[in-house]
Amino acid sequence: MHLPEIDKFAHLKSPLHSWDARVKIVSISTLILSIVLLEDIRVAFLGLVLAIILVFLSKIPFSFVLVHLRWVLFFVLALFVVISLTVPGNLLIKLSFFSISREGVRLSLLISLRAISAALLVFPMLGTTRFYLTLKALQKIKIPAPLIQLLMFTYRYIFLFLDEEKRVFIGANSRGWVRKTNLSSLKTIGSLVGMLLVHSFERTERIRDAMVSRGYNGRVKTLDEFTLSAKDFIKASLIIAIALLLNLFRWIR
Amino acid sequence: MIKLNGYEMKKIIRVKNLEYIYPDGTSALKGIDLDILKGESIGLIGPNGAGKSTLLLHLNGILGEGCGLIEILGMKVEEKNLIKIRQKVAIVFQEPDNQLFMPTVFDDVAFGPINTGYSEEKVRKKVKEALKEVGMAGYEKRCSHHLSLGEKKRISLATVLSMQPEILILDEPTSNLDPRVRRHLIELLNNLNLTKIVAGHDLELILEICQRVILLDEGKIVAKGETREVLSNKSLMEYHGLEVPLSLRHR
Repeated sequence: MHLPEIDKFAHLKSPLHSWDARVKIVSISTLILSIVLLEDIRVAFLGLVLAIILVFLSKIPFSFVLVHLRWVLFFVLALFVVISLTVPGNLLIKLSFFSISREGVRLSLLISLRAISAALLVFPMLGTTRFYLTLKALQKIKIPAPLIQLLMFTYRYIFLFLDEEKRVFIGANSRGWVRKTNLSSLKTIGSLVGMLLVHSFERTERIRDAMVSRGYNGRVKTLDEFTLSAKDFIKASLIIAIALLLNLFRWIR
Repeated sequence: MIKLNGYEMKKIIRVKNLEYIYPDGTSALKGIDLDILKGESIGLIGPNGAGKSTLLLHLNGILGEGCGLIEILGMKVEEKNLIKIRQKVAIVFQEPDNQLFMPTVFDDVAFGPINTGYSEEKVRKKVKEALKEVGMAGYEKRCSHHLSLGEKKRISLATVLSMQPEILILDEPTSNLDPRVRRHLIELLNNLNLTKIVAGHDLELILEICQRVILLDEGKIVAKGETREVLSNKSLMEYHGLEVPLSLRHR
């Protein structure tokens, strides 16, 4: 089964690809945190420009980024509309019984800029390293082991789960079932999804057996595949300095 | 020590009066007595639900302690010996997707050696050797979910060979394989100089690999003996829901 993968472009060569995954995650996470804390629209816009530059430097095609960003954009748009219409303040536009305030537009624009920048930065952070290396990097930076194992197994088995889901629905279709929006169809979908979950649970038991038989004792251990160089620290210093500078105005004020 | 064909052979597995009841009350094993000698290849056959997989899981200590005694290489299967036993007894499960749970082939093959406590250098060496042994050298960075079933089966075997086991347990090793991949796997298994226990319904495979078979039904050993002799016993095989393999018919 072909599925779009977050690390589809991890094989490319760029300053972000060659950056040590651990330092890259810490640095870009700091930048994301800095951007979501911004309160000035002009600085938030600068944050968006920075995010676009980093995506550009990562050589990940913008078409790929936009396809994966569409759901984020959908939510941002929904938020934009709701906040613009609900936040009270100086009247900007009045259409029938809708009134849009200046403060509402300002706040929704600020939230949209922060959200889009943060979502964009995920691509240079996670899309420039093989996913398994990202997991190892997360382990190294002391993210809790259960969370990493959850991510690891989700990533490993999502493909199988989707294959299984396809087979279950093909089985139902082969016996004349057609997906509709009526109650009977929903009941069938409920049963099929329930069966999928039971299958998944049974599989987890078998996987556990396989893990235990090879010495698993609650912690997934892997070999270290990272080497730090001066370049990694230079890149990290640059990104963290930018992250601090973006918030400098707020602190000074 | 037991004398077989003029050679003195060491008992590697000893099972005495093993009973096991699943938490839902299903009695899976009823008084199993079994001795397996070092270097032997044993076939474990029986109808579905006979208790084959349950017995295999006990040999690695996965199902916890049942009633009775299990000894592997003179070590009783109990909590304090589990690390050593799991290093010596390797299980290759029927479904390779359950065996290959790590993101890359390297991590999967290295999983056992790392848990065993090998040094990094030794882990890398063992992974390389195991992959070479199953003809999959160069697959280290591949993701398991992108491999064919035949490749997954070979990598599954590598995941346990890297632990340098003395006993290799295979549960339905040839299920869903096409004839060519099945033939490769049989040749691979025949070349492995280990004590082997092969469970399954591929009786032709068991005939090719195993010198002895054990027939299980309803949690009990109902027959054991030389492979050809047991598998060609039509009434015994049919009584227990099996068939005489094609190659042994009309003799």
